[in-house]
Amino acid sequence: MDVIEVKNFAKSYNGRAVHKDVSFIVKKGECLGLVGGSGIGKSVILRSLIGLERADQGEIWIEGQEISRWKERDLIPIRKKVAYVFQNGALFDSMTVFDNLAYPLREHTDFDEDEIARRVRDQLEEFGLDAAIDKLPAELSGGMQKRLGLARAMMIGPKVILYDEPTAGLDPYNTLKIREMVLALKKKGVTSVFVTHDMPTAIAVCDRFCLLGDGRVVDECSVDELQENSDTPLARFIQGAGNGG
Amino acid sequence: MRASHIAFFSHFGGAAILLKQVVSEIRRPPLNLRLIVEQLYQVGVMSLPLVIVTAASTGMVMALQFGLGLEKFGGKLYVPKIVSLSIVREMGPVFTCLMLAARVGAGMASEIGSMVVTQQIDAIRALGTSPIKKIVIPRVVACVIGIPILAMVANFIGIFGALLVCANDLGLDPVFFVQKVLTTLWLPDFMSGFMKTPVFALIIAVMACYFGLTVKGGTRGVGNATTVSVVTSSICVLVGDYFLTKFYWMFEQWM
Repeated sequence: MDVIEVKNFAKSYNGRAVHKDVSFIVKKGECLGLVGGSGIGKSVILRSLIGLERADQGEIWIEGQEISRWKERDLIPIRKKVAYVFQNGALFDSMTVFDNLAYPLREHTDFDEDEIARRVRDQLEEFGLDAAIDKLPAELSGGMQKRLGLARAMMIGPKVILYDEPTAGLDPYNTLKIREMVLALKKKGVTSVFVTHDMPTAIAVCDRFCLLGDGRVVDECSVDELQENSDTPLARFIQGAGNGG
Repeated sequence: MRASHIAFFSHFGGAAILLKQVVSEIRRPPLNLRLIVEQLYQVGVMSLPLVIVTAASTGMVMALQFGLGLEKFGGKLYVPKIVSLSIVREMGPVFTCLMLAARVGAGMASEIGSMVVTQQIDAIRALGTSPIKKIVIPRVVACVIGIPILAMVANFIGIFGALLVCANDLGLDPVFFVQKVLTTLWLPDFMSGFMKTPVFALIIAVMACYFGLTVKGGTRGVGNATTVSVVTSSICVLVGDYFLTKFYWMFEQWM
């Protein structure tokens, strides 16, 4: 079953067409890697999947519902199911780590404060952040902020996670940590779209890749196909021999 | 029409749409009282020293100027009447709102703008919640409640400042001053000034939130949004003051 389907997606900024005709699908439990050169508009597609950006043309289907023209209020149920992990964490800087994680629970569940505290502590432990519970996001390292962003996105158990460069700017240790977390979530059956330039991590976590270039998907293949054939646009992109454009 | 004119009107259109969204969302429970109280503290309590200093100096300067001016014509005894009427009808509410357009408006625009730049507003949306409900409504409600209260405090402090000057510098009896104020001021005088403040508060809060939410271009954009927010809301307060004064004047005539 297709959890996400993007059909003929087009988007322009100030008259410049960033996307002309992008189409792809993501199956249930699959992790799709969305790759391409810098500034090609990978994040624009990712943001459009939960309505943070509006498509100029085309359709976006999430679990059988076409959401590209939905109003902000109608998108709320979709956003409970589809979590977004921001590149910089996008943590609420005036809230502590605890309150950042408690935010989705307070908004979308009827749990009392004791239950919320228990769940937040469990999540912090799982993501190795239990020592930071009373800290503000600014007091955390970049890796911890990314882990916290991921932990917050997971608080209400989404079915789909959209990762926007989750390992960008991280040291090898934190990159590995994030990679392990993504793989653990994948094992739980979470569907995901992974936007990144970190190809080793992408190859480790993704089942399939779409290469964006010139406003459309220029190549699409599974990890196995990628490893078998080194003369595809995607393989050349990974080797640094082309930018997919 | 030049591009700058179009941009000018598009800002008012954008602010009007934001106001419409506020009205639409505020009717949908629940309202987050904790956030409103937090903002009331920021708008009300934290602005109190500024309002007190502004109101006291306004009242004192007005008393001094009128006292020195009217003394030449033997009209010093009219100072309590003139000053109290001026403060209650005009100076207290307008000066308070102008100061708050700067302090509160700038604070809100820059805070919200920073949240936009750091994608916190996107995060609020991505987590299935509404920035209008979480960010804008608490600030608008806090301003609409807090600013009129601050204006009342400003009226009182302004008249008190005038009393001090009249008693110390102009040689007027404080009891005479208070008697004159009490026999001069009537409810319509008070209301004509006071009723402007919720309108000004709405302008300040909506403009600040609008310019904050529409920040583009990183930290420079935050600075620009803050400046434009303060300038626009101050102009709106001053221009709006004329029309509201005229409206209340016509209303008083009709009553």
